[in-house]
Amino acid sequence: MDLLLTQDEEMLRHAARAFLSAECPTSLVREMEKDPKGYPDGLWRKTAELGWQGMALPGKYGGLDLPLVQLGLILEEVGRAIAPLPLHSTMVAALAIASDGSAAQREAVLPGVATGKKILTWAFAEHDPRLLPETVHTHAVSDGGDFVINGTKLFVDNFVAADLCLVACRTAPASDGGAGLSLFLVDTGSAGISEKPLITLAKDRQSEVEFRNVRVPGPSLVGGLNQGAPIVERMLDRATALLCAQMVGATRKDAEMAVEYSKYREAFGQPIGAFQSIQHACADMLVWTDAASLLTYEALWKMDQGLWAGVEVSQAKAFCNEKCQAVVRLSQTIHGGIGFMMEFDLHLWFRRVSAWAMRLGTTFEHRARISRALLDHPGRVVLGRPLPGSAHG
Amino acid sequence: MDFGFTPEQEALRREVRAFIAQHVTAEVVAEMEGHNEGLLGVTPGTSRGPAVKELFRKISERGWLGISYPREYGGQGRDRITQYIVEEEFARANVNISTAGSSAPMILAAGSEEQKRHYIPRLIRGEFSFAQGFTEPRGGADLASLQCRAVHDGEDYVINGQKMFTSGAHYCTHLYLMARTDPGAPKHKGISVFLMRLDIPGITVRPLWTMQNDPRAPTRTTYGQSRTNEVFFDDVRVPKTALLGEENKGWYIGSTGLNLDRVGAARYLISVLRDEEIINWIKENRFDGYSPADDPAIRDKIAELWIEAQVCRLMTMRSMSIVEHGGRFAYEGAAEKVWAPEHGARSTETIAQMLGPYAQLLNGSPRAIEKGIFAHNVMGAFQSQINHGSVQVMRDQIARRGLDMPRARKASR
Repeated sequence: MDLLLTQDEEMLRHAARAFLSAECPTSLVREMEKDPKGYPDGLWRKTAELGWQGMALPGKYGGLDLPLVQLGLILEEVGRAIAPLPLHSTMVAALAIASDGSAAQREAVLPGVATGKKILTWAFAEHDPRLLPETVHTHAVSDGGDFVINGTKLFVDNFVAADLCLVACRTAPASDGGAGLSLFLVDTGSAGISEKPLITLAKDRQSEVEFRNVRVPGPSLVGGLNQGAPIVERMLDRATALLCAQMVGATRKDAEMAVEYSKYREAFGQPIGAFQSIQHACADMLVWTDAASLLTYEALWKMDQGLWAGVEVSQAKAFCNEKCQAVVRLSQTIHGGIGFMMEFDLHLWFRRVSAWAMRLGTTFEHRARISRALLDHPGRVVLGRPLPGSAHG
Repeated sequence: MDFGFTPEQEALRREVRAFIAQHVTAEVVAEMEGHNEGLLGVTPGTSRGPAVKELFRKISERGWLGISYPREYGGQGRDRITQYIVEEEFARANVNISTAGSSAPMILAAGSEEQKRHYIPRLIRGEFSFAQGFTEPRGGADLASLQCRAVHDGEDYVINGQKMFTSGAHYCTHLYLMARTDPGAPKHKGISVFLMRLDIPGITVRPLWTMQNDPRAPTRTTYGQSRTNEVFFDDVRVPKTALLGEENKGWYIGSTGLNLDRVGAARYLISVLRDEEIINWIKENRFDGYSPADDPAIRDKIAELWIEAQVCRLMTMRSMSIVEHGGRFAYEGAAEKVWAPEHGARSTETIAQMLGPYAQLLNGSPRAIEKGIFAHNVMGAFQSQINHGSVQVMRDQIARRGLDMPRARKASR
C-alpha cells in the first residue's frame, strides 16, 4: 500500500507533461476542432515514437507490457493538455484485442497500433444509450464463412480517423441463457458502411455509423460466438477507467487555471484569491480532484492485478461525472465573464470535461451498478474488503 | 502506486481478526458498554475493568502496541501501514490500540532523549495517556491566539490560564499543553509545548457535558458518552524539563502533531462505520413487506454514500503513505479532515431519511434500531467537522498550503 507515485511514475508523468506542453498548444486544440479528421498526424506520430500506443500492449507484439496505471498517467496528461489524439479509442480497442483476440488478430493489429500506423475505435451504443447488452440490436448473421452486419451504432469515437472498429453485435436473442452478443473487428472502409458526423459539445469526432449488409470474413469474430458480453464488459470498464484518467487530468488543469487567475485578478482592492469564498471553493476543487484521481487509479490498479474492478470503475465514473463537472463549473464562476469568452481558453476544458461526464455511463447507471453489488448479494459488506459475491457484477 | 497490502500484512490482518474473535469476549464487551469515552472505544490508557485490562495485556504480548515505533522506545520498529491494519481491526471491535492524539509522535519527533525514553514506552503500554490542552474559551479555530501563560521562575515555569474541550482530562494521566511563553512575539512565535502530569497542584478539571451526553449511548457511537472538560491552571509549577522541543517553537510542534492526529484508522472509521451498518441492516431487515433496499431512490443514495466512503478510505491510505514516507503533509491531512467528517454528517442525515421516524429512537427505547445508534449519531457526527481543526479552518489550510493562495488584506471600509 503506497498511494504516492513511484519515481518511474513521476518521471513518466513529467516527461508526458513536458512533451505535450511543448507540442500541443491550445491553438492546435482549436485548429483540430475544425479539422475533419480531428487530430494532427505529426503529433500522433511523435507520441508513437515515445511509445504511448504500445506501452500497455504485450511485448510480443511490439508493446512494452506496462500496467494500465501507467497508461492512465499518460491519458491523464492527454486530458490535461486536452490533446486532440485518438489515443483513448485506439487503446480501448487494442487492449480488448490483446486480452481477448486470437493470436492471428493480435499479430495483424497490435504491431501496427504500437507503431502508430493503425488507429482503432469501438462501437457499442445504439438508440437506447445505456451500456447494457439488451440495448444492442445491430445484428450479425452467419452467411457461408462470413458474417453480415446490419444496424446503426451511435457515439462512435474517431470513426472518421479509424482503420478498424470493434463492433458489438447481436448474434442470438438475449434470452437464450446468455446476452447473445459477439464482437467483430471491422474494417472501417468496408462496403455498406455509412457515417454521419454528430455535432458535439466537445467538438470532437463522433459518428453515427450505419451498417447495411456489411460483409466481414469469419475470422473477424473476436472471442467466441455469442460470448461477447464479458469481453465487452471488460472493454467498457477499461474504457471508462481510462476516460476517468483523462477527466482527472483535464479537471486538475482547469482548477489550476482558476487558482492562478484568482491570484492576480484584483477586485475590492485585493486579489480575489484572498477572499475565503474563493479559497474555500478552490480547496473543494482540489479535494474533489484528488478524490477522483484516487478512485480512478484504484480501478486501474485492480485491473492490473487481473481482478474484476466493475465496482471500482463505477465508483470512479459516478464520482467524476458529478465532481469533475462541479470543479469546471466552479472554475468558470471564479473566472467570471472572461471565462466564457470564446478567445479565452478555459471553455476548451469545460466543454470536454462536461462531454466526458456524459459518456460511458451516467452517474445513475454507475450508482445502480454499485447498489446491485452492495444490496443484491447475501452477506455483510465491509469497507476495504471485496464485496460478497463480487467475483463478477 | 500500489493499492494492495502485502501477503504478510494480509496474514497479520487475519491473525488479528482471529484474536479478536477469541479474546474480545462477552465479558469484555459488557465491560466496554457504559465505558465509552473516546474515539471508538476503550484504550489501554482508559481501561479500568479487569477483563479489558487483561485483553490489553494479551494484545501487548503479541507485540501489537506501538507497531511503528522504534524498538528502543518500546515499539516494534515496523511500518505505519502495518500498524494501521492492526488499529483498524481493533477499532472495528471498539478497542483503540493507537497511542491516541499527537503526543507520542511529537515526543518522538521533537522530544529529548530522556523524554522519549520516559514517555514513549509508557504511552505504548498504556501506563500513560495524554489529554490535549489546546483550545481556550476565546478561541479554538484561531488556535494561535491562545493566552494561557507559562512564565520562567528560576528553574521552573509557572502556568496560569484556562483550557476548554480538553477531552480525556478526567481519566488521562498527562497533559500535552500549548501555552504562551513570549507574549511580545508574533502570535505563532511565542508558543511552547509542555508535558505534565494532570494530578499536580494547581490543575482543576471540571466536566463539560455535550448535547450527546447519554450513558446509554452504544459503544460504537461517534464521541460516545461525550463528556469533555474545562481545565484551570492556578500557579501550576513545572520544571524546565517539561518543555517539549525549543521554547517558542511550539506552534510548529503543535500543528505538525495535529496533522498526525487528524488521520488514521479511528478517524477514518468514525466517518464511515454508519455506511456499513445501514447497508447491512437494510439487507437483513424489513418493515413488513417493505425494504429500503428495494427503493430505487434509496439505492442511488446508498451507492453515492458508498463512493464517498471509498474516498475516505483512499484519503486515509494516502495519509498513511505520506506518514510512511516521512510525514511531510502539504494539505493532504486537511483534505481528509474536510472530506471524511462532512461525509460522516451527510451519511447520518441520509440514513435518517431512510429510516424516517425510527431514526429518532435512542438506545433503550422500544423499537430502537441497532441500539439507537443512528439517532445518537445525529448528535455526534457533525462534531467531527468542528474538533481537531474545523472544516472551515481546514479549507483555509488547503488554500494556503496546498494552493499557495494569498492572505486577505484588512477589509477596506
